[in-house]
Amino acid sequence: MDPPIFYSKTEYIETDTGNKVSRRATIAGPQNIILGGKTIISSGAIIRGDLRRTGAGHAVVISLGRYCVVGEGCVMRPPYKTYRGNFNYYPMKIGDHVHIGANTVVEAATIGSHVEIGKNCVIGKFTIIKDCARVADGTIVPPNTVIPALALFAGSPGRFVEDLPESTQETVEAYTKRHYTRFQPLDR
Amino acid sequence: MPPTIEYHCPCLSQSTIPPPPHLASSSHSFHPLHTLFFCEECDAVRCNRCVSVEVSGYYCPNCLFEVPSASVRAEKNRCARNCFMCPNCRNTLSVVPSDPPDSGDGRIAMPIGAIGDTQYLLYCNHCRWDSAEVGITFEKPTGLAAQLQKFEDSAPDSLEFERLKEHFEPIIQRASSLSSSTAANAPAPSSAAHSHRARTNSITAAASAALARDIPGVGKYNPLARSGRGGGAGKDKDRSTNKDEMPEYRSRVDSASASKLGTGGGELDVEYMRHLEDVSEVANLEQRWITSWATSLQTADLKPLRIPLHSKRSKRCPACAHILIKPEQKAQSVRYKIKLVASNYLPAITAALPHQQDANTESAKRTLSKSTAAAADEDRGAAGGIHAGKTYPFQLALTNPLYDPIQVRLTVQRVHAPASSSSGRASPEKARRPPFAVSLPSTSFSIAAFAEAWEYDLDDEDDLDEMFGLDDDDFGVAGRISGREPKEARSKTKVVGVLEKKANTTIVGGEIVIGKEARGNVKFNMLVSYTYRSDDAAPSESNDEGATSKAAVARPPETKTFAFYTAVDLGPIIPREEPLRIDTDF
Repeated sequence: MDPPIFYSKTEYIETDTGNKVSRRATIAGPQNIILGGKTIISSGAIIRGDLRRTGAGHAVVISLGRYCVVGEGCVMRPPYKTYRGNFNYYPMKIGDHVHIGANTVVEAATIGSHVEIGKNCVIGKFTIIKDCARVADGTIVPPNTVIPALALFAGSPGRFVEDLPESTQETVEAYTKRHYTRFQPLDR
Repeated sequence: MPPTIEYHCPCLSQSTIPPPPHLASSSHSFHPLHTLFFCEECDAVRCNRCVSVEVSGYYCPNCLFEVPSASVRAEKNRCARNCFMCPNCRNTLSVVPSDPPDSGDGRIAMPIGAIGDTQYLLYCNHCRWDSAEVGITFEKPTGLAAQLQKFEDSAPDSLEFERLKEHFEPIIQRASSLSSSTAANAPAPSSAAHSHRARTNSITAAASAALARDIPGVGKYNPLARSGRGGGAGKDKDRSTNKDEMPEYRSRVDSASASKLGTGGGELDVEYMRHLEDVSEVANLEQRWITSWATSLQTADLKPLRIPLHSKRSKRCPACAHILIKPEQKAQSVRYKIKLVASNYLPAITAALPHQQDANTESAKRTLSKSTAAAADEDRGAAGGIHAGKTYPFQLALTNPLYDPIQVRLTVQRVHAPASSSSGRASPEKARRPPFAVSLPSTSFSIAAFAEAWEYDLDDEDDLDEMFGLDDDDFGVAGRISGREPKEARSKTKVVGVLEKKANTTIVGGEIVIGKEARGNVKFNMLVSYTYRSDDAAPSESNDEGATSKAAVARPPETKTFAFYTAVDLGPIIPREEPLRIDTDF
């Protein structure tokens, strides 16, 4: 019954595994980025796969799971720090069924599965977000914050607001799957 | 805003009939489906307001350490490791060496790995507060709580608290020995839960007895009587016999002298305020009010706060004490050993206004072709609104979570005249009847069973229609001859009735007629009753749907009926005064 969300067919590239990536998104270092399948990268998003660990060999910089959405104008940038005098980038890992709202900047280290991040948020460096957590619109999560499972965070700085209901996992999973099926091409 | 549907939990009143939707109490009785629980024993919906909650484990929300309940009490429900909150902005603090090396971009480098005989301090990544401001530094970056312990223990508030505990210790002990003897008679589901409850009961009983003594009228209210266990009435008598034996408590610090310490106003604070240069020098109320003791006004005196622990909770039915929610032991696991949520028992209902959706889709298409995103929102409100004096169709999609097909009947609850006039905001003329009329299919309709296989290929709609849409039940709509025909005809003629069946979802149509003078929201209560095969019946093959529904009809005694109320809110009515726009869809 949900109405489809239309996108321009010419704008998006669909991969074999069902990922839909906007041509207007900036994907730097695509060889270092993993998309799990059925993941949508919206237009204007910037994904910095080029900011990789120093050293030889292949490195996964950003990995996203299945049924994720990176909203319009999002910036996904791996976190960095100087450890024992060496500047380095660290990988960013994101689970399944993660929606990231428009114009949000993500520098998290780990984001679990079934996580909803609102629009216009800043997720600071090395933030750890556990499963089924939710970050409200416009939240500023300072660096090194830990967001526990099933917690709603909001405000600046982001603080714990309330526990989410026990059925959050099912709710989010159904929502992200429905969103993917609603996301339909429109020929012009 | 899209239409919403909330489900009724009857815990707030004696009757099972919910309050009329326009009353303020309505919003307290209705909850979104995903927040509700279902007790199989009582065959009833339970909400977060009525379930009884038990703590099944504690953890620190920052380091995620699972704290054993023995040390929770000793540490005053706070994390005893390296977790601290900024007293200024409540962000979590990180440990940094006192002379942080500049990492080139002006930011503080991470603390890990910095070795040497430097001092360490707590630093806030958000507001740049650091503990050196208040004279707290550490020799090593680990075990900070232990290093701070001696300061905390010598604080006047914790000394006073210790003294209070000492004072009340004999009374609590006496109360617990009394209540454990009474509680032993009460039935307990498990020994662990029993001992826990016995302790909390004795403490709450002691507290309530103290309250009842000090405040007249409070004694009449007995919180334990509501839950139906514990036998509070008998215990009150015991308490009354020894209530006068408590010796008088004398505090460490006389309250009259408190202001001299710069904690309760007075000359010192006035002097301080006179020489104020910046507002932020004074700690605001939010920064001060979580301390149990009157503290200094100055921001410079704020101490880092230990992070309060969070808990995982199990939930029980308030009537039969069966467990509804039992989380896994691991703190960050989102799985549950027991999870009886209402969404697994009641059909999920979503509402939609087709004219609103069409308007949205149209504007989305237009935006896409123009490739500007701004115009979409403006169009949406105008074309998708509900105008007074018009008629609109609406759709309800009901999804069956059960592994058996169900028969559903929808009834709109009539709003009684006296109830609506008591709301006071409407004029007497309007109050006599609701400003809108709702029509729904009057006969029952079927919803196919839930089967996991349908999760996969839902796109082949025609196949599914052949499989599941054609069982010839009564649809409550005249003129439906075969399952296929109305599909073409429905956009013109059919509004009320079953519109579509697809997998375990059935969409029914209804109609709202809005009065000319209507205002407020189109919100009505709807009784949903559904009949399902009881658990005793033989399991059926879910892939052979036609045979199953026939079998269910052939054996009527094995069915059960469950009914629940919902509040359907289709959105606000746009009053007549505004210029009317012609809706092209109708």
